[in-house]
Amino acid sequence: MRKRIKDLRKFFVYDKAHHSCRQKPCDPMLLASEFQRNNTSDTDRAVVRLKYTLDNEKPVVFRNEKIALMRTIPNPPELFTEEEMEAIKTSHRIHERGEVCNINVDYSMLLDMGFNAKRREISESIKKFQGCNDAASVHYLEQLISILDSVETLAKRYRIEAEKVGNMVVAENFAHIPENPPATFLQALQMLRLLHFTMWCGNNYHNTLGRFDQYMYKYLKNDMDKGLLDYDDALELVEEFFLSLNRDSDLYPGMQQGDNGQSLVLGGLNEDGSDSYNVLSEICLKASLELKLIDPKINLRVSKNTPIERYILGSQLTKQGLGFPQYSNDDVVIDGLIRLGYDKKDAYNYVVAACWEFIIPGRGMDIPNIDALSFVKAVQDATFEKLGHSRNFEEFLSFVKENIRKQADEICENTKNLYIFPSPFISLMMEGCVENAKDISIGNRYNNYGIHGTGISTAVDSLASIKKYVFETGEISAETIIKALKNNFNDYEQIRNKLRYEAPKFGNDDDYVDSIAVSLLDSFAESLHNRKNERNGIFRPGTGSAMYYIWHSKKTPATPDGRDSGEEFAANYSPSMFARLKGPISIIKSFTKPDLKKVINGGPLTLELHDTVFRTPEAVSKVAMLVKSFIDLGGHQLQLNSVNRDTLLDAQKNPEKYRNLIVRVWGWSGYFVELSKEYQDHIIKRAELSI
Amino acid sequence: MSAGTIFDINEFAIYDGPGIRQTVFLKGCPLRCSWCHNPEGQNPSPELMINKASCISCGHCKKVCNNESCIACGKCVSYCPLNLRKICGELLTAKELAEYIRDKSDYYANYGGGVTFTGGEPLMQPQFLAETLSLLPDIHTAIETSGYADNKIFNSIIQLIDYVIMDIKLVDSSLHLKYTGAENKIILENLASLCSSNKKFVVRIPVIPGVNDNKTEYSAVAELVKDAPLLERVELLPYHKTAGAKYEMINRKYTPMFDVNRPVFIDQEVFSQYGIRSVVL
Ligand code: SF4
Ligand code: SF4
Repeated sequence: MRKRIKDLRKFFVYDKAHHSCRQKPCDPMLLASEFQRNNTSDTDRAVVRLKYTLDNEKPVVFRNEKIALMRTIPNPPELFTEEEMEAIKTSHRIHERGEVCNINVDYSMLLDMGFNAKRREISESIKKFQGCNDAASVHYLEQLISILDSVETLAKRYRIEAEKVGNMVVAENFAHIPENPPATFLQALQMLRLLHFTMWCGNNYHNTLGRFDQYMYKYLKNDMDKGLLDYDDALELVEEFFLSLNRDSDLYPGMQQGDNGQSLVLGGLNEDGSDSYNVLSEICLKASLELKLIDPKINLRVSKNTPIERYILGSQLTKQGLGFPQYSNDDVVIDGLIRLGYDKKDAYNYVVAACWEFIIPGRGMDIPNIDALSFVKAVQDATFEKLGHSRNFEEFLSFVKENIRKQADEICENTKNLYIFPSPFISLMMEGCVENAKDISIGNRYNNYGIHGTGISTAVDSLASIKKYVFETGEISAETIIKALKNNFNDYEQIRNKLRYEAPKFGNDDDYVDSIAVSLLDSFAESLHNRKNERNGIFRPGTGSAMYYIWHSKKTPATPDGRDSGEEFAANYSPSMFARLKGPISIIKSFTKPDLKKVINGGPLTLELHDTVFRTPEAVSKVAMLVKSFIDLGGHQLQLNSVNRDTLLDAQKNPEKYRNLIVRVWGWSGYFVELSKEYQDHIIKRAELSI
Repeated sequence: MSAGTIFDINEFAIYDGPGIRQTVFLKGCPLRCSWCHNPEGQNPSPELMINKASCISCGHCKKVCNNESCIACGKCVSYCPLNLRKICGELLTAKELAEYIRDKSDYYANYGGGVTFTGGEPLMQPQFLAETLSLLPDIHTAIETSGYADNKIFNSIIQLIDYVIMDIKLVDSSLHLKYTGAENKIILENLASLCSSNKKFVVRIPVIPGVNDNKTEYSAVAELVKDAPLLERVELLPYHKTAGAKYEMINRKYTPMFDVNRPVFIDQEVFSQYGIRSVVL
């Protein structure tokens, strides 16, 4: 790593020295009360809010940076007063914060065009709508132009500031962009930074970066062909860009520090079967390896033909303990998306949302995490209500499936009357929004909803216990098991221990249990099949859990797998926390048995590997083989952690010694010491399972 | 059909031979190395193992036991709410073991691996091992051995194996006796036959601070193996303090005869002078 980057990393990430340039937080209701008084339309509010934030940003340029821009306004003001929000919530479903989030815009729609050309395109569209007297559309499009104006003004103020501090590189770049398309790779990075920055200023969040190695490649290639940049220069610039993603990230909304959705996708199959991995993809991996920072979160698209060298590079990254790359298998994901109705071209272009959901750049207004189904609840209800009357396991299982269907009914019904705040700036980078004068918040080509499934392993293990002890050996009667669960195993300790430690578990490559997982996931897929949402999209089942697993597990009483009341489920698509398993190979074999193409919303198998398995280069290449085996066996998505329980315990005790210790939480990585105790404990518990 | 006692089978072993492997741990060892990190592998019989560090002293296990000293009957195991107790050591037939190994052997073969027998000292159960091996002719097999076994046994098992990992602790015989409780004459004889055999092998040195981490020992080992055509490399395995972790679990005290806190001296130079590849694990 070059010294300049080392210095910048120390300045921005370790010392956070730039924080002193930030302005005081503004009153969140600064604009909303006036909006309410004037009865301002929601789109106009979004425009005014964004322009307000941009206009009040104070340019800060540092001497030794080549890519500028940092947030000085910590919090863009709200669109609605509390009173208005209450009213909206009574008549609408609001997803998370109500803002457009967790999609992947097509940056090239502004990047490759430049604002001047975009303005011309919008003006053409205005003429068309004037022709048919559509004043509302005309107004919307005029608002889009006014946003471009504000962004340009900010860029101009940055140029002036750069000249003032004598940073001529930054000044020159802002003299050219964003009016014109970038002339160099560096300008392209600066413009991308500007676009991404503006999205955050508009209060959009989980702003993913998508296929950076594809849409930025031509700029790099051009510079390299012309001899303007060599490999190491390019690496330096990419590193600086990655650093820029860590400048303001503490201001981004999320469940915890680090949950900010800055995911980036590398490689992947082209439609003709060729491989899109290029020199920029490799530079990104190297940059991440050198920087060791939580952003951006790297996703690697692989398939059965991916060479082992790429897995080795990925495993070197895993060794750093960052919790990425996360791997996704094109052979499974692309087919799965096509089956769901995505166009072939779009399926091949898939990216990963903030955590793991598969989405389409520039064309998808999917909400891939709108709700979650609890597999455990389905089993739980069936146990209490039907176990006593079931004649055999198959009959009992059919009740569980019926419960899955019922939950699906409820979840789908609950998604109705969705309202999302307008997002005019984002609309500039989504297909058809300018042409049709339609804001992205209303929808786009794809408007599908993703449903997570929580507690799959707890549910599967519970069913395996019931199958074995109630229906096969008869060792435990239905009545006894129900009583034991209702008493949270008080006075039933022996039964609990048997269920918990002796019963068959999902993850041991045992068809007896694994076949139950196959059948539960199939049934989840069937229960959502052919349903339409109110935006004319479909529902996509997935194996993710997000934070739903914590919410669901807290209110779930004891379960027939010997889990105590309130005890946590495992996150995502992973074995139960207390199952004693043979090892990672059995886990991989078990977890690749279900048809994962049917549940392709996303949600990885997570493996915790003890950091001692990365000791030598040869060992790292064997980790790479383990990853490859998951892909070869038809796994969809995999995420590995390198952990050491002792280190984590020490970090909890002496946080000051471990400021930069990074861990994977669920879909994202964060600094261990910045997490709340609850998450720290969960991670320590997970580390105990390491192999 | 002969039966044997094993105390563990591991998946995804990456330091015990080529490719990704499964490792089978055979119980019982004739040596008593002062640095042993698998003390539960020493006693040939099953024994009770308790993870005392996590014990909450609930007393459930005590309530069901009527024996003054533990007979490893296993009755208390299922009474522990935290699953901290287990009987370490399971008796099974060669056929059962071979079937277990075969269950996933295709997976391992796909990634250049196979199965490695370790312990304890696998050569302490030669008949069981030989029979198991004879049932796995198509699977890549390796053994990790201290070499402390009758020369005939050593040679006949080696013939059934594809790859050998031979531990050499100390070449100095009196120190060997002092630190492992046995003389090394037989080990060095077996090493000599291994060197002239037709088997690929590696020599593994557990590097123990103040015991064998010196130039004299390193060169003595190099001298012994320098002419072996099928020696792949020498592997240096530095001592780690966590080696003592399991003694308490089988109710023993860890009493190493060396200073565990002293940093180990690693010297790969010696081996390169002999033209021998070496690696630190
Ligand atoms: S195994 Fe448990 S129950 Fe049996 S003798 Fe030992 S301590 Fe007692
Ligand atoms: S039952 Fe388990 S937790 Fe309780 S005292 Fe015995 S070993 Fe400790």
